Amino acid sequence: MTRTWCIALALLAAPVGATAQQAEQVTGGSSLAGIFEAANVAGSRGDHAGAISNYGRLTEAGIHDPDVYFNLATSLAQSGDYARAILNYERALTLRPNDAKASENLRDAEKALEEQRAEKEGEATIQRSSSISDAVYGGLAENALAFALLVANLLFFLALGWASTGRRRNGWLYALLASSAVLLLFCALGLSAKAGLLRDGPRAVALDDHVVLREGPDPRAQVRGEARAGDRGEIVDRDRDFVKLRVVSGVEGWTNRTAVGLIDLHYGVH
Amino acid sequence: MIRLLILALLATAALPSAATAQPEVSVTLAVSPAEINVGDTARLEVRVRARGGSIENLELSDLKKYPELEIISHQTVRPIQFSFGFGSGVQKESSLANIFVLHPTAAGTYEFAPAVAKVDGKAYRSAPLTLVVRPGTQAEADPTRPSDVAVQGDLSGARYDERAFLRTVVESDEIYIGQQVNVTVYLYTRLRLAPQSVIPGKPPMDGFWVHDDPITNLQPQTVTVMGTPFRAYVLQRSAAFPQRSGELSVGAPKVTFNAGGGSLFDAPERVNRVGAPVAINVKPLPQPGPSDAVVGHYTIKAWLDRTTAQTGDAVTLRVDVTGRGNVQDLRIALPPVVGVRTLQPAIRDQQHFQAGRLSGTRSWEWILIAEAPGEHSVPPIELHFFDPDAEEYGAARTAALTFTASGASKPPQAAIEPRNAAPAPAAATFGPLRMYSALDRGETPVRERAWFAVLLGLPPVLFILVVLGASAVRRREERSATAGAVQRKLARSADDALQANDPRSFYDRIVASITHALDARLGESVGGLPHSALRTRLVADGFDDDLVQRVINELDGADFARFAASGVSKNEMERCRQRSAAIIERIQRPTRTT
Repeated sequence: MTRTWCIALALLAAPVGATAQQAEQVTGGSSLAGIFEAANVAGSRGDHAGAISNYGRLTEAGIHDPDVYFNLATSLAQSGDYARAILNYERALTLRPNDAKASENLRDAEKALEEQRAEKEGEATIQRSSSISDAVYGGLAENALAFALLVANLLFFLALGWASTGRRRNGWLYALLASSAVLLLFCALGLSAKAGLLRDGPRAVALDDHVVLREGPDPRAQVRGEARAGDRGEIVDRDRDFVKLRVVSGVEGWTNRTAVGLIDLHYGVH
Repeated sequence: MIRLLILALLATAALPSAATAQPEVSVTLAVSPAEINVGDTARLEVRVRARGGSIENLELSDLKKYPELEIISHQTVRPIQFSFGFGSGVQKESSLANIFVLHPTAAGTYEFAPAVAKVDGKAYRSAPLTLVVRPGTQAEADPTRPSDVAVQGDLSGARYDERAFLRTVVESDEIYIGQQVNVTVYLYTRLRLAPQSVIPGKPPMDGFWVHDDPITNLQPQTVTVMGTPFRAYVLQRSAAFPQRSGELSVGAPKVTFNAGGGSLFDAPERVNRVGAPVAINVKPLPQPGPSDAVVGHYTIKAWLDRTTAQTGDAVTLRVDVTGRGNVQDLRIALPPVVGVRTLQPAIRDQQHFQAGRLSGTRSWEWILIAEAPGEHSVPPIELHFFDPDAEEYGAARTAALTFTASGASKPPQAAIEPRNAAPAPAAATFGPLRMYSALDRGETPVRERAWFAVLLGLPPVLFILVVLGASAVRRREERSATAGAVQRKLARSADDALQANDPRSFYDRIVASITHALDARLGESVGGLPHSALRTRLVADGFDDDLVQRVINELDGADFARFAASGVSKNEMERCRQRSAAIIERIQRPTRTT
């Protein structure tokens, strides 16, 4: 009886819910497009603050689009805020890994930040991520890997099933079995890397010029080290308004969460 | 009562699906506002909604007809929803909308033929549309952006191509050394380019000091070249200052961009173009003239931050040179001041590129440390320049400045590091902003969707089922083969006993043969069962009564004959052999007879 009630209510609610969703998309898309245009106009006129504000409104409204992040990063870079530009170029590249212009601009922003710091301090180095998985899978989109995994999985078990039950077993069957197994392993590792399973936490970028890393989530805790603006790392723990940042060099410590920006969007953006 | 309520709810839920069993399609074409001025923007929206069908295409062909309507933004909205109902099953309701933001560059009345949408192979049309563009006041008031420019014959600095070409325009081809010359690179194109795809390559400008005016927005103007309308985009605008005399060259610019690609069925074309180099004749400054003259027109002023100080304290001397020209070329030297130690100056530059002219201010700050008491005088500082507009030399001079130091003499101290302002790093342009965005909401990754897990798990599950099924079939075949072999062996044994006229052995084999056939059929041993129990077992398993009766009779007869073997004739054994063969054949039939 309960099951019958649930089916009846679901059938009644489904069309209503779907219609409401469509209405929200249409009206929301229209106003969001207006904000995007206003941001572009401001950016084209050199009003970087206006452009950054409007692109920021889009991201706060839940728009996670590579072109919006690209424009936001470009406006930030043109206004001289290279650390936040790096963060947003990284986000754009996470969503669209093969964006050559975003990669080029990211390198330019890192170079500009290094030069700016070198002028003040004599030398400067930004700690960039250099993992093997980034090198191998950096240019591949996560969804492409997911679809490749499905195909490789199907091919592998088809070949395995044929090899197990079929009466004819030719050389090509074993070649297919081996190649699909390699592809399956490659895609599974890549998808794991993209999903963050090979990392200890979401990727992050230090935003403040001096990000002090402490022993504990307390501003009075002993200083363990520091990260500089633009340095990459991972958020390995959280506690209230503090995050534990582990930079590429291996140094880790607690800092205020406003001092870092998350690259991996599915962990939440702040 | 509750059942009636449930039925009513289900009927209500099914109504929308039933109503949408046939495709319902609506195509709309709208522009807002319908009348605008040149330079303003209008939002053109073409939308198709389909209930119960699949949208294959949505086309507004007339949009390509008007190059004067520049598309500065294009957004595609494709919401899809499903509704559920009885009778017609799952109904898909989908819509597709293309939203264009148009920027007209020429006045006129633009007629749009109806938009055409294909849903399930059938074409649906919208109403036609008219957009009226009136001459705008902004375009007329801005002389630097004419709405229509005719270029007839004069295509210097260009390598003409009927589809797209680059043109380098140099303000003057004969200038003085150090004089500003503006270099502008235009892209003329009749192709519909994607602004975010434009990658300009700067022309080599060896021998020049170059100040770039960054281009952040590609705004086209319509230019007629040899009777053909082109859209011209400014790709680069630079103020160049030759650093040596003679013939210098502005190299060939390059550009790469995507053309087309406005829809799913229009693949973008990658277009590369290289322009033509342009020569500039650079003259030396006229003689006679001051050897330290810079080029431009400048004013100079100087002041001290205070006129009294203690010996050993610092007084700041600030000199600002402001004017038209490349201020980074300016050099001035502070004459020595007796009794005053002078540190290296800090230098700051401010430059502006306005109305096609580069101007700015260069500031020097010297720290003066009085080492002896008394009045110290900073002598006048003079700057010579050559004004290329007036073609004459000029000079700017500061007044003499004095300050008084009091206190005891201070011996010279170790030099203090100069406080040079850190120059800003060479700023990369970071490319143009992207004018188009799908405004995605960061869709859930494929790996997190439910169907992904199902599709991923399906092949191994199917593989396991196939392997288990194949294994079961193989086992059954093996068991059947084994049972058949035993059956044949027992039959041969019975035949041997018959030939040897050995009734006891013969009937033993007959009983064993029938029992084995029953064992194989039932999957369990029935040899130990009394005949009454065997009858019940066979009936329970669906054996027909006739066969059951025959089996029991044959087993009873064989048992009896085994214990009264002397009274059995060979003929009777042969008949028994035939009956038992028929019974075994019926037991082994795969389908049970009734």
